[in-house]
Amino acid sequence: MAPVSQTVRVKVLFFGRLKDVVGQSEESLDFTAASTIEQLFALYSERIPQLAKYRSSVLASRNQEFAAWDAVLHSGDEVAFLPPVSGG
Amino acid sequence: MTTALYDDIFQLVREPIDPHSLIDHVRAPEDGAIVTFDGFVRNQSHNRPTLYLEYEAYEPMALTKMRGIAAALHEKYPIHRVAIVHRLGRLEIGETSVFIAVSAPHRADAFDACRFAIDTLKRAVPIWKKEHFEDGAVWADGELPPAPVATPRAKPAS
Repeated sequence: MAPVSQTVRVKVLFFGRLKDVVGQSEESLDFTAASTIEQLFALYSERIPQLAKYRSSVLASRNQEFAAWDAVLHSGDEVAFLPPVSGG
Repeated sequence: MTTALYDDIFQLVREPIDPHSLIDHVRAPEDGAIVTFDGFVRNQSHNRPTLYLEYEAYEPMALTKMRGIAAALHEKYPIHRVAIVHRLGRLEIGETSVFIAVSAPHRADAFDACRFAIDTLKRAVPIWKKEHFEDGAVWADGELPPAPVATPRAKPAS
């Protein structure tokens, strides 16, 4: 029997300058179960090193609510990384 | 989108905003005042001539946050109706990017609520603008939204 997959599938969104840095606005990603938003951002920072410098100014949301970086991801979650807002 | 309870309006639009329809919407016989905020595209940024702006939003979250602003207004001020509309996409100099209208029986509440609405929108609604200049484009330096739930800010003693 195949081992139970220890991953969750999350939808990841980038906006503003982060979208430009990452090169895409949206991606579905299989990610290690019981991981946090912080770990998800770290994964992208490994892939795209210039992303790391934005960490201190970026806020995260989970399912369209601002979320703490230590929030644990569940399958089906929609996570967005939000640079400082500049509407108005 | 409107809230049934107050008949407020929250919209993200890609066409020019029509302020008159929003003012008419919030106006009612029991009111005595409407205060509006018209935010429009300035022709320069830090003394660099602006060509045009591009706005984008995390749309479902932005609408949720706009609805939250209206709910907060009704909680804080004795007002009647609120309309908050933000435009997305490319905007030329002088075009309205955000329009807010608040009606109330009395002017002071309408002024206070409208000010609170635009100040909160600029801080907490996930919308971003890219400024296009002769020699390139930059994302505007934005404001940090309120800290997330797990790290609540200390409240000053009242």
